Amino acid sequence: MLKPLLNVIDDIGECLIFLRLILRTAYRSPCTWESICEQTWKVSVQSTPTTALAGFFVGAIMTVQFTMQTKAFGALGYLGGLSTSATVREVGPLLIAFLLSGKVGAYTSAELGTMRVTEQIDAIRCLGANPIQEIILPRFLGIVISSFFLLAAGLIMSIFGGMLMGSVFSGINPEEYVRHIPTIVTQFSIGNGLFKCLVFALILASVCTYKGYSATGGAKGVGRAVVGTAVMTMVGIVVFDWFTSLLSETALNLFREGV
Amino acid sequence: MQQQLALQDVTIDFGDGPLLKNVNLAVAPGESVVLIGPSGLGKSVVLKLFAGLLKPTSGKVLVEGKDLHALPAHEQSALQLRMGMLFQKNALFDSLSVGENIAFPMREKTSLDETEIQRQVDFFLEAVGIAYAAALFPDEISGGMQKRLGIARALALRPQIVFYDDPTAGLDPITSRRIIELIQKLREEQNSTIVTVTNDMARAYQLADRIVMVADGELIITGGKAQTLANKDPRVSQFIRGKLDGPLTGRHA
Repeated sequence: MLKPLLNVIDDIGECLIFLRLILRTAYRSPCTWESICEQTWKVSVQSTPTTALAGFFVGAIMTVQFTMQTKAFGALGYLGGLSTSATVREVGPLLIAFLLSGKVGAYTSAELGTMRVTEQIDAIRCLGANPIQEIILPRFLGIVISSFFLLAAGLIMSIFGGMLMGSVFSGINPEEYVRHIPTIVTQFSIGNGLFKCLVFALILASVCTYKGYSATGGAKGVGRAVVGTAVMTMVGIVVFDWFTSLLSETALNLFREGV
Repeated sequence: MQQQLALQDVTIDFGDGPLLKNVNLAVAPGESVVLIGPSGLGKSVVLKLFAGLLKPTSGKVLVEGKDLHALPAHEQSALQLRMGMLFQKNALFDSLSVGENIAFPMREKTSLDETEIQRQVDFFLEAVGIAYAAALFPDEISGGMQKRLGIARALALRPQIVFYDDPTAGLDPITSRRIIELIQKLREEQNSTIVTVTNDMARAYQLADRIVMVADGELIITGGKAQTLANKDPRVSQFIRGKLDGPLTGRHA
């Protein structure tokens, strides 16, 4: 009982040490802009279609879910605002993080794990280059930056999905659907969504690069790294979703008291 | 003896007992040392210790008189640029073409312009005889060509010290011989110090100034071909003659 728990704590500790190494490398010997742009482009292109599709249906689901409540209170006009607010604040960042975890996280840890077990990372060191600077940092930053693009893409598509479902299912026209979005989706909601997106992206980028970089033991080791990435990121994201929600609610309450 | 590489009282332990125990080895500039010995008993570990890829549990690894692991990262990195390594499974960058594999260290670590880098890439491809494969990817070429590419990449920065980890593994006897001749030719051209791991005794005799056997956590320095053949240690005798019975039986990993 105690040993698995100690292993988990050990793993988290190692991951945090690895994150510190990445951040120190970013400060002392940053990678090139070209490599960051290349990775950002790669991650964005890889994940845009699935994110957009998922965003579309999230908007549609939110609209279906909120229709009943808003109708009961005679507030159908607020449907678009409520649905978009929920997507920006909570569902969007969470969905993007889960999608990226399944797709980019698994891909990155498998790619780095294969490079590790085939000694390509050792070869980079032998050629006098720093593997953290050359291969980890661009992937890390690529995942973090692209998660914001993907959040925007998912959000836009969720508005479309909500609008379509609103007109088909709830009988609300698109103009009415978007009218109250600026009223309900405040700067605070957007800030909250962006903050969550950043935290989730940092968790994902740290875990998948750490798991891949520390893989050992051939194909089996690469498999373990991919599974470890999936488990650790999913759990990390859910735990930090709760934590960031708590934090942002506290911040909002303090702000309101101040006003 | 003047030393370019040295292990001083080195012990390395991966957690299940020491693989090497207080071993000492010195390699002179321009010398060719070949490491032989049963699989899994530490030959590649010796190369990785020299290359700075593994840190000893205790003892010192000296490269050109400097304690490699006591140096700050940038100095260690600078020293590593004077070393090249061919990995056992080549460790080629599979997302880069043959030409780009050789260009990689030059792009990363030199200020050469693209024209000069391309000229150097062509030179090395020509030297190892795979010029026609420059645009192909590592998984599109044969095992022998991959070895040649690994050698070309290891030599791309014209290192003074080169490590070859099993350069003829999995190759047919003719290709093996060609690879060893290529290593010798390049060694003469660059006047480099080389340390090679191989269990192919014919190739070991062809290449070595000195043969060192790794077994039982020790380094048994046997000397050149004649001294190795005349060595009285029963482990050396069993290994080089490939006898089934002897002190090494049952110790293979």
